[in-house]
Amino acid sequence: MDVVKSINLSKVYHSKEDVEALKNVNLSIRKGELFTLLGPNGAGKTTFLRIVSTQLLPTKGEAYVLDYDVVTQPEEVRRHIAVVPQDIATYGNFTPWEYCYYFSLLRGIPKNKVPEKAEKALRAVELWDLRNRTCATLSGGERRRAIIASVLASDAEVLMLDEPTSGLDAVARRNVWAVLRDIVEEGKTIVLTTHIMEEAEMVSDRLAIIHKGVVVAEGTPEQIKSLAKERFRVVIEGNLKDLGFTEKSNHVVRFGSKYIIYVKNEDEAIELVRKAIKKGLRAETAPVTLEDVFVEFVGGEIN
Amino acid sequence: MNLKVLKDVLVITALKSLPDLKRQPLIIFVIGLISSLPLYFLVIFGGQITFGLIGAMVSTVSFIGMNAAIQEMSWDRYVKIREMIVAMPVHPISYALGIALAPLILSIPSLIFFGAIALWLGALTPYSLLWTVIALILCWATVSSAGFLISTYLQKASTYTLNNLSNILGIALGFIPPVYYPEEILGNLSWISAIFPTSNAASLIRVYSGSLSLPFEMIIARWLILIMSTIVFAIITVAKARWREI
Repeated sequence: MDVVKSINLSKVYHSKEDVEALKNVNLSIRKGELFTLLGPNGAGKTTFLRIVSTQLLPTKGEAYVLDYDVVTQPEEVRRHIAVVPQDIATYGNFTPWEYCYYFSLLRGIPKNKVPEKAEKALRAVELWDLRNRTCATLSGGERRRAIIASVLASDAEVLMLDEPTSGLDAVARRNVWAVLRDIVEEGKTIVLTTHIMEEAEMVSDRLAIIHKGVVVAEGTPEQIKSLAKERFRVVIEGNLKDLGFTEKSNHVVRFGSKYIIYVKNEDEAIELVRKAIKKGLRAETAPVTLEDVFVEFVGGEIN
Repeated sequence: MNLKVLKDVLVITALKSLPDLKRQPLIIFVIGLISSLPLYFLVIFGGQITFGLIGAMVSTVSFIGMNAAIQEMSWDRYVKIREMIVAMPVHPISYALGIALAPLILSIPSLIFFGAIALWLGALTPYSLLWTVIALILCWATVSSAGFLISTYLQKASTYTLNNLSNILGIALGFIPPVYYPEEILGNLSWISAIFPTSNAASLIRVYSGSLSLPFEMIIARWLILIMSTIVFAIITVAKARWREI
């Protein structure tokens, strides 16, 4: 069953110069999966999320959440979703408990059930012990988890999270990832946007790469990686000329004295590593990462 | 209006007032102190304390009405809480009423304080107190709806601009028209008092407290101006405001 579905969804922002933020986007997000929209800043991820979460009207096309039309049935859609906007800040005077409590009431959870839901959500994000501390005294990661707990406590079937880990340190980010995977294990659906490759690769069941308002690839992280023309990368430190490569070769990327060379298969990669080591260079190989594929699709326009 | 809409008004009012009240209770004194400053000068310089007390009550509700409608709305947009609430099953009316009511709750201790002194000094009677409460509620409603109208039209303005604007308007509405002083001072221009919701409400309270005499038709006209301006501002706001962006 498709929980979120878009058909030729388009959005044009009218200003001095019209900006086409989404161009005929067709996506189907299934029940119980964590689906990620991956793209550089300004790719259209947030626009898509804001349309399907009934905050923004599309210019053209259709979008449905649990078969409810986001344009004509927003009230029905809102009963089933919970949203964490991008760069959300917290009220400093609020505690994580108050976030869960008030927002659950607003979402229509009966008052007598709210404490139980709030406790479950706060325990899930490991904030139970900090539930009565004001957000002003919590770290950035804890504040973000407080917001996530508030949507978790709402019991919504579909969670829409716009860059929920942006600005968090590695430890806090991993905590949030663990929480998101737990939520999905419970049968809920998550639509996530990110420009962090590792995040997309680690947490997603499926993902779509979106660039300049167009979906350029869609599938599981493995399926997306398999779309790469060259499947292996060899990282070499030293002078490439000894190996017969130049910096200008299409499949070579330079970072200071380090180079990444993309090759078609594992045999070719192992051969190249052998050659490099023989020449006294440091070399290692690995399959291409999602980031490599992403760069291949969107070019060098990552922010 | 169904029960959920009313319940959400209460939840948003609580959400916007109780945590602040719990953690920074001095806020209730701040609201009253700003409005009571002219009262001290009136007492010190031998002015009529009745005018000062009525002015303090009116400017309190006016200031918090303007502040809630502009500053709270822009703050919620800034911290993105509004985006979360838009995507919830919450009616925009619940949200607007909730954020307008929250500071009114915080100002109640100040209003009770000013009202109690006015009763004690004989400036208000229990009968005139009833009309005072009605005039204050209408003044708050008019200023709040005007504030919502302004914030609806200035959606693209920065939070800082909107904060400054609401402070300027709050102070201007409370201190420039005849709120703390008798409208008779304006002579032929005393009709100006009817234009501003603050001075209009203050004059009506003075009528019922016996310190201003107006013809019956004029009193009715002034009540109608307060009520009609609230309705007109609210209608334009509802017509113009968009819960969902386009």
